[in-house]
Amino acid sequence: MYIIVVGGGAVGSGLARELIASPDHEVVLIEESGARANELRAELGEMVVHGDGTEVVVLGAAGAGRADLLIAVTADDGRNLVACEVGKHWFHIARTIARVDDQRNEGLFRMLGIDATVSAAAAVLAQLETSLPEHTVVPLMRLQGSGLEVVDLHVQEGSDAAGKAIRDLQLPRQTVISLVIGLDGAPRIPSGDTVLQNGDELIAVIAQGAESELRRLFATPLAPESDAVERGG
Amino acid sequence: MGCGRVGSAVAGRLDREGHEVIVIDIDPSQFHRLPADFHGQKLAGSGFDHRLLLSAGIEQADAFLALTHGDNRNVLASQIAKHLYGVERVVTRLYDPFRAELFQRLGLRTFSPTDVGAELAYSALASE
Repeated sequence: MYIIVVGGGAVGSGLARELIASPDHEVVLIEESGARANELRAELGEMVVHGDGTEVVVLGAAGAGRADLLIAVTADDGRNLVACEVGKHWFHIARTIARVDDQRNEGLFRMLGIDATVSAAAAVLAQLETSLPEHTVVPLMRLQGSGLEVVDLHVQEGSDAAGKAIRDLQLPRQTVISLVIGLDGAPRIPSGDTVLQNGDELIAVIAQGAESELRRLFATPLAPESDAVERGG
Repeated sequence: MGCGRVGSAVAGRLDREGHEVIVIDIDPSQFHRLPADFHGQKLAGSGFDHRLLLSAGIEQADAFLALTHGDNRNVLASQIAKHLYGVERVVTRLYDPFRAELFQRLGLRTFSPTDVGAELAYSALASE
């Protein structure tokens, strides 16, 4: 595949390094800052192009006319959007992917035909959540278009779900538990009869927005409020 | 959006014509360019900050003009105005003539000062 990456920051250069590791890919990395481009060229060689990756002339010289995929990952939503639109509508690149930092722009990007969006903020948040000891629902992947997402669930002690069969759980609509990983570390495909245990890890497909409902089912319930001072305050 | 020489001149003219005009610029010191009798509102901030756009009444706006010096900023703000907030007439300045042509095709009313400038320079040279 011929792939153009726009933006040579930490994300873009990391991505380019990953992509060139595969012999199936031909990769060009476009970086606007001359100093940064030189730095990258010293490491990655001729695949690094210095220029504004939103400009028709620069993209053209980078071979956009025969590219299969354009990925725009600068730190600027406007740049990423324009690079993808120029790639898509001027050079007819089949697939474009943009990084979006302002989540409110995500819908716009999709409306304008960008094939996929990735959000650094969302990814960092998900990673942070997995590092929290008490996490119950961790988003793993958004399935674009369907309104579904893949999440990682943890059955906590004393939660509604612990000790119950899956069929007896009041799961939010569209929830499908696809995999149960017990404390022994063995993955199993569950049935309705599978009884969930404390500490089980589940991989599930859920409707976007169902997280809080799931959290109520899988988290240890908060201690009842017996403290009069707290209640009064 | 964008209160430079062009933005302030257009805003002043529309204001004189009796339109309700709101000027947005990230740098409030640019507002000095507006005529002394400018009646419109001046908002300091980014033209693609959704909160600012909503407070400026973008949903009721009949027109949006993106006139900053950044082509990509202008495109992003213009497409937000057009596609997310349904503004009917959206004018976008793009220095790059290729992008001006592309985004014209994609529904924005674009113009390129580069094209216009080249044309004027050429005619100035050719005229006797």
